[in-house]
Amino acid sequence: MSLAILTDVTKCIGCLECVAACKKENNLNMDVPREWQKMDGLSARNWTSVLHKPDNHNIRKQCRHCLEPACASACPVGALHTTPEGAVVYDNSKCLGCRYCMMACPYGIPRYDWDESVPYVRKCILCYDRIKEGKQPACTEACPTQATIFGKREDLIKVAHQRIKENPDLYINKVWGEHEIGGTSVLYISDIDLGFLSYQPELGTKALPRTTAPAMNAVPFAFVGMGAVMYGINWVIKRRMNNGQETGKEGNDGTDE
Amino acid sequence: MEQLLAFSKGPLFRLTFAVMVLGLARVLILDLLEIFRAYYRAGDKTVPWGQVITRSIEWLVPVRLVFKRRPVYSLFSMLFHVGLLLVPIFLYAHVQLWRDDLGFGIPTLPYAWAYGLTVLTIFAAAALIIGRILNRTSSFLSRKQDYLWPIVLLIPFVTGFVCAHMGVSASAYRFFMLMHVLSAELIFVLIPFTKIAHCVLMPLSQVVANVAWKFPPETDDKVCTTLNKKGAPV
Amino acid sequence: MVQMNRVQAVKTVLWSILGLTAAVGLTRFIFGLGATTNLSDATPWGLWIGFDVLSGVALAAGGFVITALFYVMRREEFHDFVKPAVLTAFLGYIAVVVGLLFDLGLPWNIWHMIIFWNPHSPLFEVGWCVMLYTTVLLLEFSPVPLEEFSRYAKIRTFLMKFRFPLILLGIMLSTLHQSSLGSLFLIMPFKLHPLWYSNILPVQFFVSAVALGFMMVIFESLVSHWLYIKDSETERIAKLGFIAAWVLFVYFLLRIGDIAFSGELGMIFTGTWEANLFIVEMLISVILPFIIFVVPRLRYNRKLQWVGSIMVVFGMVFNRINVGGLTMIRATGDIYLPSWMEIIVSMGVVSGAVLVFMFAIEKFHIWEERPRHPESNPYAPAAFDRSSGAWLGSPLLAASTRYSLAFVFAFAVGFALIPDNKIHSEGMDDIPVTRARGADTLFVDGNLNNFGVAFDHKKHEELTREGQACATCHHMNIPLDKNSGCWECHKKMFTVTDVFNHDWHASAGGAAIACDECHTPGQQRRAESAKNCEDCHRDLRVENTPIEVKAYLAPSYTDALHDICVACHLKKAVELADKPDLGLCPTCHGGETPENRRELYKYGQAARSLKPVVLPQVKKPE
Repeated sequence: MSLAILTDVTKCIGCLECVAACKKENNLNMDVPREWQKMDGLSARNWTSVLHKPDNHNIRKQCRHCLEPACASACPVGALHTTPEGAVVYDNSKCLGCRYCMMACPYGIPRYDWDESVPYVRKCILCYDRIKEGKQPACTEACPTQATIFGKREDLIKVAHQRIKENPDLYINKVWGEHEIGGTSVLYISDIDLGFLSYQPELGTKALPRTTAPAMNAVPFAFVGMGAVMYGINWVIKRRMNNGQETGKEGNDGTDE
Repeated sequence: MEQLLAFSKGPLFRLTFAVMVLGLARVLILDLLEIFRAYYRAGDKTVPWGQVITRSIEWLVPVRLVFKRRPVYSLFSMLFHVGLLLVPIFLYAHVQLWRDDLGFGIPTLPYAWAYGLTVLTIFAAAALIIGRILNRTSSFLSRKQDYLWPIVLLIPFVTGFVCAHMGVSASAYRFFMLMHVLSAELIFVLIPFTKIAHCVLMPLSQVVANVAWKFPPETDDKVCTTLNKKGAPV
Repeated sequence: MVQMNRVQAVKTVLWSILGLTAAVGLTRFIFGLGATTNLSDATPWGLWIGFDVLSGVALAAGGFVITALFYVMRREEFHDFVKPAVLTAFLGYIAVVVGLLFDLGLPWNIWHMIIFWNPHSPLFEVGWCVMLYTTVLLLEFSPVPLEEFSRYAKIRTFLMKFRFPLILLGIMLSTLHQSSLGSLFLIMPFKLHPLWYSNILPVQFFVSAVALGFMMVIFESLVSHWLYIKDSETERIAKLGFIAAWVLFVYFLLRIGDIAFSGELGMIFTGTWEANLFIVEMLISVILPFIIFVVPRLRYNRKLQWVGSIMVVFGMVFNRINVGGLTMIRATGDIYLPSWMEIIVSMGVVSGAVLVFMFAIEKFHIWEERPRHPESNPYAPAAFDRSSGAWLGSPLLAASTRYSLAFVFAFAVGFALIPDNKIHSEGMDDIPVTRARGADTLFVDGNLNNFGVAFDHKKHEELTREGQACATCHHMNIPLDKNSGCWECHKKMFTVTDVFNHDWHASAGGAAIACDECHTPGQQRRAESAKNCEDCHRDLRVENTPIEVKAYLAPSYTDALHDICVACHLKKAVELADKPDLGLCPTCHGGETPENRRELYKYGQAARSLKPVVLPQVKKPE
């Protein structure tokens, strides 16, 4: 049961109700511009924001809840992990504050409590407590125009394609998040290109954890291989030295005594 | 002048305060180090700890020990020290500065107490200087800094008194406040490097006396033997 | 005597840096990363990762390459390098861990890696390998200090028995984490510049670490021999350099070959700053040192040995910093420059390691011939102060006197230099408020970001006419003004403004009021014992205004406006049955229709940047 959010950019009026609902649901404090923030409205105290683009385009920005999240694969202690519902959630009792997740996220979503002496990573958790109870996230519930809706991922993908088919002149024929870097649980359909939501306009369809997987799979082989090679070299050289020195003095036993 | 005052209240204060605190910690640690070294090398390793502790307390509260000899001088010395410690630390205006910056403070002296103690300290210091000059033994033992120190210590007290208790004009207030802050910072810097360091080293002095300046009974003979004057009077 | 001055001068400098570091470190742990670093949401990894961790681990590679050369390959001529190299590696790893403690947001959770596993994460693997390898290095090195204590002889012999397996394990662990540091960046193809991103990044990191390991051994040997005025082994260094040069060559092939393979070779000469950075990096880290250590005549030149090894050390550190963030600027759009405090901490961590290294060199049997040092000699004559002739105590005491003094003064200087505004502002931008523009309709947008409210002033005026009119909102008459505008007191967008300017009132150039004119004589001078503003400024408060002025601190512009508007709107939303939406955000911010929003934009000047949204979580003034 993979749950998802579909945001229809053409329907968003930029009222920020989702932002307000998110704040209230997650008990986030008031936010003010800090020098360490990115200029996209997200911060440790703003887990979702609305970007205002020319010609009255309002694009909601939030964690994409990747199906194979880079952040979760990067976290050395597994503080970030995917739940069966599809939400990528954060366990602050495990976190050690290395901020590798922030480096790894292709959308630049996770934020940090830079002003705290006990800081945590902050991002949207898809209102995990609510969706566990069968409710929908606060943001989709608050949306007055149904621009952002909640449901099963397969259903929403169908809805998205249906809307594009019904109105091909309006929409760009693409569902953002359907295949990108392995697929995400937050989908977008839009009448403008949404490449600015990530570091690169095109991210490909390969999930990012798979870029590190070959290297990580090679680890045991490298470990054993290096040991074997080193031992082998030592064995050969020792043997050669002993052979050469059989008539002469005894070979070095390898210590520096 | 405003900027100078702001600077001396901010970075300069932090600089001098850190020098004082860490400098005192430093002399304390160095002293302990040397004591341990002396103890390590000493032939006789017994130290009369009970005696050391009682003596140290006696010197800290010199009621019994000193009052016998020079009661007036000791009384003034006591008053001077009490004022010197209590007034700067528990003064309302000072605690308020900590409170503004760190968010917490300590209980403060009532206004009347602060007033009285400041006046008392100033008079006690004056009396101490006079006493030092008048007493022959004292004046013989005194160095220049022994006369200078009570005067230097008085500057912040006098300027602070002017600022806090006398209604002076705005510009005069600034001047006295600047003098107050700068003189106090001068004292901060000097404390760990001059005799005022006794504020932390005092409890150690008895230990030093017992560890480093202790001669075993047969020391006299041994010294004489070493000097090739066996049997000569010491 | 010259020799001692050099060592002692270096140690004094190192202790001073440590003092500065202690002051900065204290600030970092009390006030957090934001107050001390220039890290940001766009650049979460900075100098402490790029230099302390990435470069630190690579610089400590000397330990495993030299042990591999000596114990595994049996190259006996490098015997003298082994102990210092293992010591450098051990201290290097300790320095990495200490540097990491500064960088981690929750450093006390560093042990979590032991119990919470995520084997998919390269960082998890690096963490484990560093932990294990540091332990292995400790076991490898501990026979040296144990030599000094005869009562531990048994432990020492026991450890010596396991020397070869330990060394093999060390090499295996090093292979893993040196390469895994490269794997860390495999997950960021979208950030890292293509000239640095590569699928064989782990291999490149490993090979460069091997080359750097050799060079670091050379560099460390040159420096320590210079410090203790000893003849260094020019010949052996040349031999070592020759091996390193060919490792560098392999590294060069890997870098260039990989770029050629992905068809980006042309990118090197495009002239962008990244391309030039790449050329500079390759020149100083590979090409020039390769020439120096391959040509026999250059290889045996002492000065060129210095130049070559320094080039590789700097070049590889440069490479790690490039991969660790510098070449990501294009993607993140955030230019990060480390703050001086970050630089000081990085220097301090290295200084600490160097001091321990010097201590070990003086105390233990690391060199064949121990450096003679008065501090370690109990029978050395006492030191005297040159100017006064005063006795400074035993040589050890004299030395510690000097170093501790340097430490104390440096700490004080660092403590004084800490920028208090950065700590107190908590990273809040100090944005001055611009007054609302317009006439009957005002565009309220204090920070000029075009995200404001079109406030129909005239309509509100009419709505409140029956009551107290202006006084409903305008609650102050500041001197020489009547019913002052919001921005006159609420001067800052998000921070509190001190409305009562005490300094101005008390200064000779201002009101020139003596203390006793305001504060009651004979009482503590505090706000409570002073006159009220209204004792002098008779009509400061507007009569009959429903707004209470409680303190001399005006809340921020956003707080103040939200406080007034939202309170009234919420009340009216209940009273007026036909306007239930009055209390909702969109009523003022943005409105319900796209047209309404456009109306809002009309009033604004050119958009500067999009700032985060501030929501009406009304904060009461204290």
